[in-house]
Amino acid sequence: MAFQDHRDFIETLKKSGDLVELTKEVDWDCEVGAIGRRMYEMGGPSIWFKKVKDYPEEYTIYNGSQGTWRRVAISMGLPPETPVREIYRVYEERLEKPIDPVIVDKKKAPCKENILLGDQIDLYRFPAPMIHEGDGGRYIGTWDLVVTKDPETGWTNWGMYRFMIHNKRWMAGWPQSTSQLAHQMRKYYLPRNAPMPVALVIGADPIAHMVATAPIRLGEDEAKFTGALRKEPIELVKCETCDLLVPAHSEIVIEGEIPTDQIVPDGPFGEYPGYRSGTMAEGVGCRVKAITFRNNPILTMIALGVPIDDSSIAASLSAGIAMKLGLKHRGIPVEDVYVPPEGVTHLIYVSVKKGGTQVTKDVLDYFTARRVMVSKVIVLDEDVDIFDNGQVLHAFATKCHPGRGIVVEHYEGRANSLTPFYSPKERERLKGASVAFDSTWPPEWPPEIVPVKASFKTIYSKEIQEKVIQNWKSYGLK
Amino acid sequence: MKREYQTFVRQFKDFKEGKMKLYIKDLSPGPRKYDTKQVLAEIFSNPGKNFDGDILRIRSESGILLPQLWGIKILEELPESVSGKPWEDVFKAIKNHKMEKR
Repeated sequence: MAFQDHRDFIETLKKSGDLVELTKEVDWDCEVGAIGRRMYEMGGPSIWFKKVKDYPEEYTIYNGSQGTWRRVAISMGLPPETPVREIYRVYEERLEKPIDPVIVDKKKAPCKENILLGDQIDLYRFPAPMIHEGDGGRYIGTWDLVVTKDPETGWTNWGMYRFMIHNKRWMAGWPQSTSQLAHQMRKYYLPRNAPMPVALVIGADPIAHMVATAPIRLGEDEAKFTGALRKEPIELVKCETCDLLVPAHSEIVIEGEIPTDQIVPDGPFGEYPGYRSGTMAEGVGCRVKAITFRNNPILTMIALGVPIDDSSIAASLSAGIAMKLGLKHRGIPVEDVYVPPEGVTHLIYVSVKKGGTQVTKDVLDYFTARRVMVSKVIVLDEDVDIFDNGQVLHAFATKCHPGRGIVVEHYEGRANSLTPFYSPKERERLKGASVAFDSTWPPEWPPEIVPVKASFKTIYSKEIQEKVIQNWKSYGLK
Repeated sequence: MKREYQTFVRQFKDFKEGKMKLYIKDLSPGPRKYDTKQVLAEIFSNPGKNFDGDILRIRSESGILLPQLWGIKILEELPESVSGKPWEDVFKAIKNHKMEKR
C-alpha cells in the first residue's frame, strides 16, 4: 500500500525510529538549516520542527524525508534494511509498468483546504527557512516538485528546482537553463511572449519528489512513473488559476506564472554538489497567483549540501536507473549503473559486459550528448560489484591505463553550471569537459594473458573454496 | 535607529560608490526578514560615525560577506522586477534598463 501523502510517511518513520520531533522553538533563520545539515552529516533521522520562531504552531517544517537509504526503502514500501542494489532493482522493475494518474474533484483534495487569492497572497505566511548563512534568500522550494506543461503536446513536466521568496507575491527560481522546464519555455512560451503557468508543490507523496529528480525523457509525464513506483495511481487535482494538475494530497501548492519579459534575482544557494558556487541572478521570476494548502501545513525542505542527503540519495537512484536505460537504448552492453551519492551525480560507475576503448567512448558519448550533468565516468568489467566503492577503487587503480585508458570530451552550451570546478567564464558559456576512465580489460587481449584477480573467489578452484569454507570452524576460525 | 540591508555582487571589486539601481534585502528581524526591493540609492563605501543613512552589508556571488560595512541612502523604491528574459543576467538587465531610460 503506497503512502497517500507525506503525513502517512511521517507517521511510519516515527514508528521505525527514522524521525525525531523537535518541539523546542527554533529559528527559521539559519538554525533550522544548521540542525538539518548537522543531522545529515551524523547520518541521523529526519526532523520535524514543530515550533518555528515568528510562526503559529500549526505551521511546521520537515527536513530530510529521504536522506538515507533506509528512508528511501520505506518510502517504496520495502523493509528498511533493503540493500541498495535491491532498491535499484525494484525501482527499475517497477518503472516498467507506468500507471496513469487519477484526477479527483477539488472537494476530495486536501491541498484545497485553504485557498489564498488576490490580495490574500502572502508567501511570508509560511516559515520558509534561510537554509544556509549567506544564501540569497529564503528558499521555500527545495524538496519540491515544480509542474509545467507544453500546451501543444500536453506533456507535463515535474522537476525539482529551487525557488526562493523575493517578496510576498514573487518568487525567484533557478531551474537550470538546460532543464526540461527551460526546454518548454524556449519551445512554446518565449516565442509567443506568453507567461508560463507553473505550480510549485511542497510536501507531496514522497515518491513524487524522488521522481521529480529523475532525468526522465522529454515528453514523458513523471506522474505515471510515480504511479509505477507506488504501484497505484497518484491522485491529481486541477490548479485554481490554470489547467496544471498537482498532487491532491500535497501540503502546499503555490500557483504562479513565469513571465517572459520580467526577471528578479535568485541565489546564490548552497547546492547539491555540496558548494555554494557562483550561480546567481540568472534564473527566472515567478509571479504568484494563488496559494492552496492543507490545514496545519508541513513545509518540506532539504538542508542541501555535502553528501549524503535526500538529493544525493534520490538522484543516485532516479538518475542511476535512467542512465542504465539510456545506455541500453543506445546499444551499449551495460550490465549496471551506480551513482554513488558521495559523487553527487558528477561521478558515475558503469559496468559493461564487454569493455575496451570504443565502449568507453560510446558510454561517454551518451553522457555528453545533451545537457551534461556528469563529469567523470568509471567504466568497469561486469565482475566488479559497482555498489562496492572498494571494488571500484581497486579496479580503477589497477586497470585504468593512464596513457590510453582516459577519454575526454569537451563541449559548449550544455555543461552543468553548478559544477564547482568551472570558472565563472566557463559557467557563463556552459563550457565544460567530461572524462571516462576505461577500467576494463582490453577485449582484444587473449584470455590467457588477462591478469587473474587474486581474490578468494577468483584465484582458487571451487573445490579449494568449498573445502576451506566447510572446514573454517574446524581451523579454530570464526 | 539605522536599518540594515544586504546586497549581492558578483565580485567585491565590481561594487563602487555612487548613485545606482540595485536590489537590497531588508535585514530587519521578524517574519519578513530578507524581503527584497529594487531601489535607486546612493552608496557610500566608508560611512563614518555621523553617517545619517542606513547600513549596507555586501555579499559576493558565493555568499561570502565583506567584513567592511557600507552605507546606503534609499532615494526611490523601484518596481519589484526588471525587464529581461528568463536566464538573463539581472545585473546586466538593470544596467541595460538604465541605458534605455537615458
